[in-house]
Amino acid sequence: MATCFYFLGKKIFYFENNEPEILLHRLYCHTHFTNAVKCCIVLHCIRYRKWIFNVIESDVQKGKASATALANMKLNIEGLLVYFPYDYIYPEQYSYMLELKRTLDAKGHGVLEMPSGTGKTISLLSLILAYQKAYPLEITKLIYCSRTVPEIEKVVEELRKLIEFHCKETGEANNFLALALSSRKNLCIHPEVSALRIGKEVDGKCHSLTASYIRAQRLSDPSLPSCRFYEGFDAIGRQVPLPPGVYNLDDLKEFGQKKGWCPYFLARQAILHANIVVYSYHYLLDPKIADLVSKELTKKAVVVFDEAHNIDNVCIDSMSVNITRRTLDRCTSNVETLQTTIQRIKETDAAKLKEEYRRLVEGLKEANVARVTDVYLGNPVLPAEVLQEAVPGSIRTAEHFVGFLKRFLEYLKSRLRVHHVVQESAPQFLKDIFQKVCIDRKPLRFCAERLRSLLRTLEISDLTDFSAITLISNFATLVSTYSQGFTIIIEPFEDRTPSIANPVLHFSCMDPSIAIKPVFERFQSVIITSGTLSPLDIYPKILDFRPVTVASFTMTLARTCLCPLIVGRGNDQVALSSKFETREDFAVIRNYGNLLLEMSGVVPDGIVAFFTSYMYMENIVASWYEQGILENIQRNKLIFIETPDAAETSMALEKYQEACENGRGAILLSVARGKVSEGIDFVHHFGRAVIMFGVPYVYTQSRILKARLEYLRDQFQIRENDFLTFDAMRHAAQCVGRVIRGKTDYGLMIFADKRYARADKRGKLPRWIQEHISDGSLNLTVDETVQMSKHFLRQMAQPFRQEDQLGLSLLTIEQLESEEMLKKISQMAHQA
Amino acid sequence: MAVYVKDLIRISHNWVDTHTCDVTTRGWILRLLINITASVVYPPLDDSCPSTTMASLSEEVLLVLKKVRQRKQDGTLYLMAERIAWGPEGKDRFTVSHLYSDIRCQKISPDGKAKIQLQLVLHTGESSTFHFSNDSSALTDREAAKDLLQQLLPKFKKKANKELEEKNRMLQEDPVLFQLYKDLVVSQVISAEEFWANRMSTTNTENTLSDKKQDVGISAAFLADIRPQTDGCNGLRYNLTPDIIESIFRTYPAVQQKYGENVPHNLTEKEFWTRFFQSHYFHRDRISTGALDIFSECAKQDEKGNVTHLELYRYIRSGVLNVLTAEGLPKEKKIGGKPASTSNPNRTGKENSNSAIIKRFNHHSAMILAAGSRRGDAPNDQASETSSTDGNSRDSDLFQPPIKKVWWSIDYLDLQREDGPKTVALNLKKSDRYAHGPVPLESQKYTTSQDIINSITCIRHEMANYVPNLAQVLTSSAVSSAIAALSPGGVLMQTGTQQAINQMVPSEVQGELKHLYIAAGELLRHFWTCFPVNSPFLEEKVVKMRSNLERFQMTKLRPFQEKVQRQYLSANITGHLEEMLQTAYNKLHAWQTRRMMRKI
Repeated sequence: MATCFYFLGKKIFYFENNEPEILLHRLYCHTHFTNAVKCCIVLHCIRYRKWIFNVIESDVQKGKASATALANMKLNIEGLLVYFPYDYIYPEQYSYMLELKRTLDAKGHGVLEMPSGTGKTISLLSLILAYQKAYPLEITKLIYCSRTVPEIEKVVEELRKLIEFHCKETGEANNFLALALSSRKNLCIHPEVSALRIGKEVDGKCHSLTASYIRAQRLSDPSLPSCRFYEGFDAIGRQVPLPPGVYNLDDLKEFGQKKGWCPYFLARQAILHANIVVYSYHYLLDPKIADLVSKELTKKAVVVFDEAHNIDNVCIDSMSVNITRRTLDRCTSNVETLQTTIQRIKETDAAKLKEEYRRLVEGLKEANVARVTDVYLGNPVLPAEVLQEAVPGSIRTAEHFVGFLKRFLEYLKSRLRVHHVVQESAPQFLKDIFQKVCIDRKPLRFCAERLRSLLRTLEISDLTDFSAITLISNFATLVSTYSQGFTIIIEPFEDRTPSIANPVLHFSCMDPSIAIKPVFERFQSVIITSGTLSPLDIYPKILDFRPVTVASFTMTLARTCLCPLIVGRGNDQVALSSKFETREDFAVIRNYGNLLLEMSGVVPDGIVAFFTSYMYMENIVASWYEQGILENIQRNKLIFIETPDAAETSMALEKYQEACENGRGAILLSVARGKVSEGIDFVHHFGRAVIMFGVPYVYTQSRILKARLEYLRDQFQIRENDFLTFDAMRHAAQCVGRVIRGKTDYGLMIFADKRYARADKRGKLPRWIQEHISDGSLNLTVDETVQMSKHFLRQMAQPFRQEDQLGLSLLTIEQLESEEMLKKISQMAHQA
Repeated sequence: MAVYVKDLIRISHNWVDTHTCDVTTRGWILRLLINITASVVYPPLDDSCPSTTMASLSEEVLLVLKKVRQRKQDGTLYLMAERIAWGPEGKDRFTVSHLYSDIRCQKISPDGKAKIQLQLVLHTGESSTFHFSNDSSALTDREAAKDLLQQLLPKFKKKANKELEEKNRMLQEDPVLFQLYKDLVVSQVISAEEFWANRMSTTNTENTLSDKKQDVGISAAFLADIRPQTDGCNGLRYNLTPDIIESIFRTYPAVQQKYGENVPHNLTEKEFWTRFFQSHYFHRDRISTGALDIFSECAKQDEKGNVTHLELYRYIRSGVLNVLTAEGLPKEKKIGGKPASTSNPNRTGKENSNSAIIKRFNHHSAMILAAGSRRGDAPNDQASETSSTDGNSRDSDLFQPPIKKVWWSIDYLDLQREDGPKTVALNLKKSDRYAHGPVPLESQKYTTSQDIINSITCIRHEMANYVPNLAQVLTSSAVSSAIAALSPGGVLMQTGTQQAINQMVPSEVQGELKHLYIAAGELLRHFWTCFPVNSPFLEEKVVKMRSNLERFQMTKLRPFQEKVQRQYLSANITGHLEEMLQTAYNKLHAWQTRRMMRKI
């Protein structure tokens, strides 16, 4: 490995050694330098000191972490040797790997549910890694999709541990390349750009420094600003592959700093030949991003969607477009900019436009060839027919296209001028647009592609400015491509504020399978996994694929560490429910308050309470405040409340954790489907009880939802009610599942609504929760709940040691290999 | 919904305690005056006012008030630099004189009372009352005296009281010491100075210990505990105790700051609190605040603090925030749910107030949490702020890997073999033995387990081969006497079972004996610490201690002995005490004779 050192953009030094300290020292000692230059180097030293120390420190930390004794757990999963980096294994992890192996063998897709906290990720990683090592030709890549940056980082750290263990056991040097990829915001190391911290701004600034034509301009005018990291990457980094290893986001940045290469582009290039890639859903599901990043990924890959219980919504989101008046206004100005730029270019460089025209005549053949030969991942926005044809003549020249866009915009504006709600299908919309402004379906379909080409030609650097027009062109392409699965709803005002005009055009995707279809078609195996996927049969239905394995694993427990209770009545026998009719009922609100108050006196440390919606929570909190219930609760614990503002919420959350940590105890009131319910775990004392106030149904009056339900009924034969209940229960399970994060953890799960007792609701909870609901705890009063909680908490407070688990929910390799245990495990699997 | 306060804090009692106390915060001292509207029963005047000596005339006189009656006698009140004094009319000596440092607090009679009085309460519990009887200016006189005292007292209080309070606290916290104090000082065996002379040195170390006593947090519901009472005439009364006020100040430093800015000069504290409760600041659902309201500024300040905090938050790359803002999460609107936006300008007032409540709760809880740890992390806060405003350092901060957090969350602890030293669970078979501690061994000779096994086999062997020799048995009378002798209380068992003292004497005598032991121990400690006698001071002390010891023997020990002898003839339970005293006398005697020898 070698490093170049640049000074004022010129390569001045070349080093074999990569130690930054030595490097800078040698540089300093170099005799050719004048004192001024030395001064500069000293400054560099000072600036990098911290970084140098960080490098050393983090190396030490990693060393420490890897030094934690790893014993040998070599599993035999139906003939596959799997290295498992722990001393013990949970039985369900074994079954999980078994099912996973079968799925991979069959080269099919799978849906696997296993409770969180039972080591899903590590089982998954160790099996797929072993599979990759054993059959390097069958599976060449693992694409692991997670939802959030911390989750991505977590996965990579687990992977690091696994690979270190693997190397140690086999004695081979690691030849695997695994890396995380995230947005520029998280990877940029350019001091000015990364200081912006807001995703869009970082992207825009980066573009303005690194776009190809800007760099071309710089050749003639060196005074233009540049990004030395990108230049470094472009000069050397492109040819040098990333050495094998595990790269988390910070490792990438560190590596980038060391080499002077841009970590973002480095990572984007490296995912093509990496063995394991960990990134966000969007890099695969969002057509705009997937086209840039994941297009060239190999077919022989396993794709894993972790925490995939919301995957249908992610799909729908990535394909839906909302157009407001502001979007249109910005579009208009975008179009004007385009026009002036075209005018300017026409005067100066007409050849460029001609060249573009020629390309368009030839058509999108290249893309077509690539797709046919299976090099590219399909893009749902770029339908197959488009690829085979040339861009239609009516929008081929730049001016014509801009005129076309103008007409389209005017049409949309006129549509937004409605006074009543309009709902129509895509064909209706197309018919209308043809009648009104004579826009044909065909040019519309090429809109997105044509705009991209134009923007490229016009050399517009800051693409973020053109997000509005890009959105519109995407909409145009989508609406003309898909006659089914989408609906157009134009709402002149919001339901709650009928007097204020705020027209919105929702172009709403109703079929999540459209976005995910290319993924299923392209990749060999797609695994959808989460802690809560029940009922399992609904996901294959709505995502429209045929899985080879569908399995749900329960949590084997040495002690029942979760205690689901359904509270159906208050002490005064008032039925508790959040249903619409009793929503404002003071008796219900008071009883809910009583429940929380009583629990706050019984449960130690943290309690998390979830409400069905933000509005509902606001109302309840207000009336609790009026009734003085909150004051009484404050005597027991501090109260923190989620707000719509992410920063405020995270501050409340941090304070909540602080209060749990220092022993004062706290209550966090939050919202199902909110930020807290999805991303935050309440391990151990951070959550000893979770209370679900009501059933978290979606807002059913929304037209978009109604349209989607209708579509589901017609296309997939899923009854509206079934879907609504399914959706409510998966969110309830998500909320409630926050509290149990492992077998040593324990927590109460209180469902405060009598509707949970019904079989159709209860049956949709994940199996690992369902099986602990006893018949006696289906319709409790508040008092009974308190009694049962006390009993449960007292039991759980007893010491719990590893020996108690061994042989039951925790196995050594010997125990696992025993005949008896294997039989037991296979029995369990059959139940599932 | 909100209760609007019409009229607050009425003072309707006989006496109002104008209690001054110091609250030191962040380097500057705010003098707070707290009215406690609790009825104070005025104690009857006692005649034990210490007689005073004539003051040296060189003292600076700050205020002279004529026509002040004290014990029905007209006179003049002087407020001087270090003391307050009163002399009867026509005489040039003070009959009453108190150093400011001796005064614990002053009390005034409430407005509207016929008699305008000022009472001084001393630390000793005594008090003197002055009645201002100048018809025209009684009230202003009293106010002048009160105000001046208010300024003067705290100055002296700090200095003098610290020691006194410390002593007081020690006595209160330690009942044994208190008893000792009673035995030795109150009964005038030794003087108080002597008693403390030896103590205070040790107190310094104790002092630091007690200073570190855990801070008591603030109850989250303290505002709820201030329950207003209606007083029948369309008014509300709040009772504020110093505790509540402290809680308010600790939780909301902004209010404290306002207090410091306004109270001494702009407002009386009564007005201040009235406004506090009237202001919407207190009501968490307030919607808008009038510009006149002094607390609106507080609210703004709080909000500002909140906002800067939030800004900091948005900028600091915090893991939690990342989770919450990550793109991967479903956005609220999703399958049709209405976007829950608060930025929406057209929310109704009700909704606005609701979200204000929520914000308030978060803020309140955070403030309470912070109040508990404010002292600790205040510098930290600043450090983080400065570091984050400094652009350069921030960049490098970015590279700090959050590894620690990640490791913590990915380790499945129960999947790993437990590292570290194996611990054995404590399993008590006989918990009473554990509670009583080890039993002292009779002899120092230990037997090894091998010995025990040998002897057991030996005994077993003998038992197996035991053949009773019926020809050589004892007579029955001899046997019964032997058994009697070996039973508890028998002749042979006397030495083995020393009768415990608790079987011999009733508990009150035991208690008394215990006190005697403690007192004697204390005195003897004083005595023995004088050795080796190497300074004239110690010489003097050792002689004094001897007389103290003798006095103790005479006044304490003798009566006790007599009492015991009257009740229990035989029990010589004070023998050991006398022995100890005798040893001390002997030592002193030996020392004295040696000294005499040397002198000769």
